[in-house]
Amino acid sequence: MTTVEQRTGLVGQGVDRVDGPLKVTGAARYPNDFSYPDLAYAALVRSTVAAGRISRLDTAAALASPGVLAVITHQNAPRLERAPDSGLTAPPPPLQDDRITFHGQYVAVVVADSAEEATAAARRVEAEYEPAEPILDMGDPRAEWITDPWGTDSSRGDLKGALASAEVRFEATYTTAANSNSPMGLFSTVAVWDGDDLTIHDSTQWPSYLRKAIAQVFSLPEGNVRVLCPYVGGAFGAGLRAWPHIMLAALAARTVGRPVKLVLTRPEMFTGVGHRTASEQCVKLGATRDGRLVALAHESTTPLQIEGTQFEPCTAGSASAYACPNVITRDRQVRLNIPWCNFMRAPGEAQGNFALESAMDELAYELGMDPLELRLRNYSEDNPRLELPWSSKSLRECYEVGAERFGWSRRSPEPGSMRDGDSLIGYGVAGVSFFWYQEPCEARATLRKDGTAVVRSAVTDIGTGTYTVMTQLSAECLGLDMAHVTFELGDSDLPAGAAAGGSGLTAAVGSAVQAACRNLVRAFLDTVRDDPTSPLQGCTIDEVSVGGGRIHRIDAPESGEAYADILAAHGIGELSADGSSTPNDPKVAGMAPSGAFAARFVEVRVDPDLGLMQVARVVSVVDAGRILNEKTATSQIMGGTVGGIGMAMLEEIVTDPGTGRVANATFGDYLIPVNADIPDMEVAFVGRPDRFNSVGVKGVGEIGLVGIGAAIANAVHHATGRRVRSLPITIEQLF
Amino acid sequence: MREFEYVRAGEVGQAVAMVTADPETSYLAGGTTQLDLMKDGVLAPDRLVDITRLPLGGVTRDGDVLRVGALASMEELAADPTVAERLPFLREALLMGASPQLRNMATIGGNLLQRTRCRYFRDPAVSACNKRRRGTGCAAVQEVARMHAILGASEHCIALHPSDMAVALVALDAVVHLLGAGGSRSVPIREFYLLPGDTPDVENVLRHGELITAVEVPLLPPGARSTYLKVRDRASYEFALTSAAVALRIDGGVIGEARVAMGGVGTVPWRATTTEQMLEGSPPSPEVFAAAAELAITDPYVVPGTAFKVELAKRTVARALRTAATQGGPR
Repeated sequence: MTTVEQRTGLVGQGVDRVDGPLKVTGAARYPNDFSYPDLAYAALVRSTVAAGRISRLDTAAALASPGVLAVITHQNAPRLERAPDSGLTAPPPPLQDDRITFHGQYVAVVVADSAEEATAAARRVEAEYEPAEPILDMGDPRAEWITDPWGTDSSRGDLKGALASAEVRFEATYTTAANSNSPMGLFSTVAVWDGDDLTIHDSTQWPSYLRKAIAQVFSLPEGNVRVLCPYVGGAFGAGLRAWPHIMLAALAARTVGRPVKLVLTRPEMFTGVGHRTASEQCVKLGATRDGRLVALAHESTTPLQIEGTQFEPCTAGSASAYACPNVITRDRQVRLNIPWCNFMRAPGEAQGNFALESAMDELAYELGMDPLELRLRNYSEDNPRLELPWSSKSLRECYEVGAERFGWSRRSPEPGSMRDGDSLIGYGVAGVSFFWYQEPCEARATLRKDGTAVVRSAVTDIGTGTYTVMTQLSAECLGLDMAHVTFELGDSDLPAGAAAGGSGLTAAVGSAVQAACRNLVRAFLDTVRDDPTSPLQGCTIDEVSVGGGRIHRIDAPESGEAYADILAAHGIGELSADGSSTPNDPKVAGMAPSGAFAARFVEVRVDPDLGLMQVARVVSVVDAGRILNEKTATSQIMGGTVGGIGMAMLEEIVTDPGTGRVANATFGDYLIPVNADIPDMEVAFVGRPDRFNSVGVKGVGEIGLVGIGAAIANAVHHATGRRVRSLPITIEQLF
Repeated sequence: MREFEYVRAGEVGQAVAMVTADPETSYLAGGTTQLDLMKDGVLAPDRLVDITRLPLGGVTRDGDVLRVGALASMEELAADPTVAERLPFLREALLMGASPQLRNMATIGGNLLQRTRCRYFRDPAVSACNKRRRGTGCAAVQEVARMHAILGASEHCIALHPSDMAVALVALDAVVHLLGAGGSRSVPIREFYLLPGDTPDVENVLRHGELITAVEVPLLPPGARSTYLKVRDRASYEFALTSAAVALRIDGGVIGEARVAMGGVGTVPWRATTTEQMLEGSPPSPEVFAAAAELAITDPYVVPGTAFKVELAKRTVARALRTAATQGGPR
């Protein structure tokens, strides 16, 4: 196996999570673990129609219920402002009018002395509606369509002409179901007012934005709001928005003059914090007989909440996945009376990859070619959309190493030709070219007189390992043992942090941490610049290195001084420095920024009489640039793979066609994989440090989910000869 | 908060008297169904009588009959050596029926009475549910059904009986022992469950206050072959789309006795009697199994989401027959 270069020292090692002991002993405090004296509890009332108006709200019975402190509805709620854009328009503030736009919209919040009393009273709120006919189907002629919603559509060459003259043409439509993020940790908000100061504990992935949002909704100076989220019980993108329930918790707390805790129920998690949209996608391919792509068209339509916003480009990745001269990619959205669509691990990419990589597999069979060979034959050495070299790309190596580890050569090409007892065996492959994304980020590094450091940024660790990898990186940048470094996050009072989203956090915060640490070393050099007793006197940053808790001269490593000694000698309690990062500009850098790449190899076993399918093996080979921690990175790929198996085999939000109610909003009805569904998963990393950011990383948070759907569907075809073009692939489709 | 009274019964007669006297009082055993439905607002008893300390547990063998106390846990029954030896498919049904945590809480009596997983029944925000409130209609028929029944179903109700264990017990002709205020009685399990008809809220012959005290299960003859096959979306921890409990006695190349029951398809656990009749006296061949399985589903009531179950159920029966005949022998 080829491993990433420069994996020396602390960074790269698969060290245990620094927060592991806290988590396994229950000492890590998640948002709903926080309590305050006199804490009150809120429960929500949701609409039972998908469209229309509230015609009557009777809160008398609820108000008279034991322990109830307040019932807030649109009739008595104060006016709230809309939160600022986060790149996308924010959800509207809750309880501002009588209009209903989806089944499950909040129509009241009940506050009581206990959670049980609040829940019981919420059931006593009587709501009647003047229902309108909801728009629930993308085929509904009343539905509003949005073309090219984000300006990501692309076109190059002459698609029409190339398709018409192609030696081989292929076209098919693919669909994917709506999926629910539904992290284990129920989203929770604890809101505490102190005069006009507001503290919020929340399950957010983006405290710096949430603070802005809350401040604007309640017309407060930003400095009055503090958002705390040191631990989040999973989110998968659900924590990237300023959801209405957060505002309701704060509103409830202000109304009753007490701290308020609001914990969403599992059914509320299905309607209140977004979901992955369903998709309908058409892929057209044209190729030469020897398997060179000459035309590629990928069009997608996804639903959108009727007043909502969402960035879900299913086709954008297809513009740069393969070297093809004639390409069109198009995304459209259709507004429906459904709950808010939102980011879910690999938004757009998860659906789009399923369509593209299924179509490539189908084309390979049309051509009588090994599906792996077809992908290699159309490998894009440069980014064909930007016409710039990739900042790094080792996808070819992913395919080669993966094929070797998986034993792809043992595949017999004919579908249905591999059998073991009642089971048909199928091999499937999919390639993944994940998008690049990065936000600005700030960090601050501080060295204390005892020689320990604390590095801070208002980012989050949603289970991904940010605490751990940033501790490793900080320790390396400062030349300290990990035990002497603490990384603090999850507090909006810290330097403004990037969102834990778009697989971009590690590059963003890592670059800021590097900068802060380097600036901190500079600050130490400044301190000793005129100190004749210091061996570092007059040294510039480029003349020194760090290690063992000290700064030393590169040309004379024995000449150096410990941080603690410098602070003591100069009577300084601690020294801090800030650092920030902003994304590179591709044009200036002269390269196309790469996200991670991966090859996914899957073996399935299908019992064709009963439609039972088991994923038997998954081999994932990933080029994610420099790996900061082999263990947490592997865990990210494995966790993503489990999510991918869920998307491929089980997960589907079912909406009642008559009412727009989510029909399966429980873990009894919305199935996610259990251990018995998950095979041994082999993960390997290849590639070199990426050139687009100073840390050399490409995020691994999402790519693990991508490609699994197509690889499974392709393996199912290989096993059975049956091509399934819709996810999830259920028993009905296989027997 | 909706308050209710909780009483722990000291003796069986007292428990029966307490529940019989008040229509709003219910028994509480393992609570794996009762408490869920109370939390969801589907059930709202004024009083729960906890019977878990009553002397209604234990699994004892008396000749060729196993007497199972109503309060024996699923785990206890699954672990019983007689069950492993003489009722292996019942053991399989129990083990596939729930996670270890649930099996340790759930009782045999409670399992027989477990309520449907129909997601329209379980959400009080849905108004149309004849099982919750007679005469309100059936949302499952109108909206999206899948985990629903195709046998014994009608436009009034397609709620599925979800138990795996009960399928095996129906195949075995178990007998349910009941104690009411007026005395005790015994009901063959196939008469215990009632088809929904236009009264889906009435699920069995229990009168209010009547308590299941025990279940008597005839043992399979020595040398019988049996299996429980469960077809489900995930490999564990999920209810059946279709299932089959099959026991065969094969004598001299001929099926002497066949017991076949199906889960995942009926509003009650479903005995495939026509299939059994065809099997008995026939040789145990794949062709016979396939032909007999064809007879397992007659007059199904399907909606678009459940239509696939007709064929899947037949294949499930055919596979279970084949598995029982070839691999289901004494262990």
